[in-house]
Amino acid sequence: MMQSEIVIVGCGNPLFGDDGFGPAVIEEMEKLILPDNVTIQDGGAGAPHFIFNFLDPEVTKKLVVVDISDFNAKPGSISKISGDTLKPGAYIDPHSWDGVDQLCRISAKIDTTVVMCQPAKAIKKGDADVEIGLSEDVKNAIPKAIQVILETIGVDYGTTINLQKEGSQRGAAETCGHQER
Amino acid sequence: MVLKVNDQGIIETGNWCSITPVRGVEKLAVGKTPEQVPKIASRVCGICPIAHNLAATEAMEASIKCEIPKDAKALRNILQLANRLHSIALHDILILPDLYIPGTETKINPFTAEEPVRTVAKRIQRLREIGQTIGQIAGGDCIHPRNTRIGGMYRNCSEQAKTKMYDLAKEGLVLAKAQMDFMIAVLRNYQARESVDVGGMKVPLPKTLGYHNQGYMATHAFYGSSSLDECPTWDINRFKEVRPWDWYMGEMEVSLEEPRYPVGGTTKIGTKVNPQMEACTGIPMYDGQPVEVGPRARLATYKNYDEKGTVGQNIAREMEYTDSLYEMIDQIDALDTCGKVVADFIPDGDGSLGWATNEAPRGCDAHIARVKDWKVQYFSMLVPTTWNFATCSAALTGAPWQLAEVIMRGYDPCVSCATHMIVLDEDNKVVAQKLIQ
Repeated sequence: MMQSEIVIVGCGNPLFGDDGFGPAVIEEMEKLILPDNVTIQDGGAGAPHFIFNFLDPEVTKKLVVVDISDFNAKPGSISKISGDTLKPGAYIDPHSWDGVDQLCRISAKIDTTVVMCQPAKAIKKGDADVEIGLSEDVKNAIPKAIQVILETIGVDYGTTINLQKEGSQRGAAETCGHQER
Repeated sequence: MVLKVNDQGIIETGNWCSITPVRGVEKLAVGKTPEQVPKIASRVCGICPIAHNLAATEAMEASIKCEIPKDAKALRNILQLANRLHSIALHDILILPDLYIPGTETKINPFTAEEPVRTVAKRIQRLREIGQTIGQIAGGDCIHPRNTRIGGMYRNCSEQAKTKMYDLAKEGLVLAKAQMDFMIAVLRNYQARESVDVGGMKVPLPKTLGYHNQGYMATHAFYGSSSLDECPTWDINRFKEVRPWDWYMGEMEVSLEEPRYPVGGTTKIGTKVNPQMEACTGIPMYDGQPVEVGPRARLATYKNYDEKGTVGQNIAREMEYTDSLYEMIDQIDALDTCGKVVADFIPDGDGSLGWATNEAPRGCDAHIARVKDWKVQYFSMLVPTTWNFATCSAALTGAPWQLAEVIMRGYDPCVSCATHMIVLDEDNKVVAQKLIQ
């Protein structure tokens, strides 16, 4: 089966500058050796159409979505929110899936976290200026984002030790059934 | 989409255009290495990255004249067919809300928890899972494949992975047959109706819904062709592109609203539109005419399939379900997991023009490239929906305007930017505009 207990998906399009943050984080995470119960996926521009096939509420316990978001912080700032706090969008048709709407639906069954990075400039839907490459601030935020993701899924990869508060997250991996490294 | 209609609301002229920013990507490719461009190409679209990745990779190989090993070709074929399987299932979700549960006046909501639709939805999801899993094994990733490379594939798969793909394909074949039969039954049920419901409006259903006489273009039943082939099935000299200015109507104004049209009614009166100026793709032609590409084009070219209209087009797509799995099983059988998958010699390119077509789920995806000294000098993408814009526009003629989207969905359009639908009256005034996204 494709489905894993923990799924991490990077969303966005590298053709649109900082929107490529999610795929860039996944590219870096591919260099790590992660537990077998963790799947990392470059969702790219097609995440809403494709990524939900990776999730089975009977198997998948935790979903982490990595994306950019304008939350009025300094460029490169990392934040995370729970899927419970997302507001549903509007369903239009299967070729215009709004991923947020689906995340809202699924977060009731799967523990969902969105790890967000503040882009250098806000990207609006419909922007067509093609520009490859992340801004310096956002590129520098990749290690921090990976630390936050690893902390969220309860994987102590060394780099996360200092981030973890006493008693936090280590149990998360056990509840998801993965072997502590 | 801009429509000129008569007093009865029947479309006299259809204008469907796109503002997809494809040309920017093509300029971006210039000066990059051939390895970079397929990665860029796969990001222009959220739905068919696999087709763009394969077509761009093979256009580069065609330019540098690099033949790839047969097992690399087999892996690409498996990836291609897995993508087609997944995409047909996705299209089923797109069109089911137009169709009725046979014997009832209830339209199908693919997301309902009620039977019998729930079983169908689960089958669709399983087919998508199977397509994506096989694609992941063969292509390294099921969305943006990373196993493809100039000169072949990065790695072959293991014997265990080959067995897994084979088992999944066999499971998929049974499900695909059942799904194909179901979809053809509900499509025939739709076709037999005198009228259909659109947002509470009873709309007469013409027997010629979606008919056109533009002809078909397909380059292979399953995969595609390239300028490296001994007998290429696409001729770049028969292709030309005209400006949208020569094809679409000029500035118009919406003069009628239809609040019942789903979802949320049509655009407000007074909205100005100008498809002539807004369209940003050219109109590609083959032998001087727009052509239809896609499942029916493939079946018409390689199987003498002859059913016209929107229903015929959708049925052709359903018939590709089992075709793609039978071919996939043959390709998996042929794969030698010990065979090499990278060419012995990968030239840097001498600036020759090369092209490759990929028979993507939505139709022929033609990429053209020129590579010299491992730098891309020229790159162009003729994506399936670009081919189909003008053909679909012609197919709209004679249909009630309320069914324009049903015709459009038959082409399984993949337009990454907003598309507008506008209705004109006899004085060329716009009477309705529908924001599709």
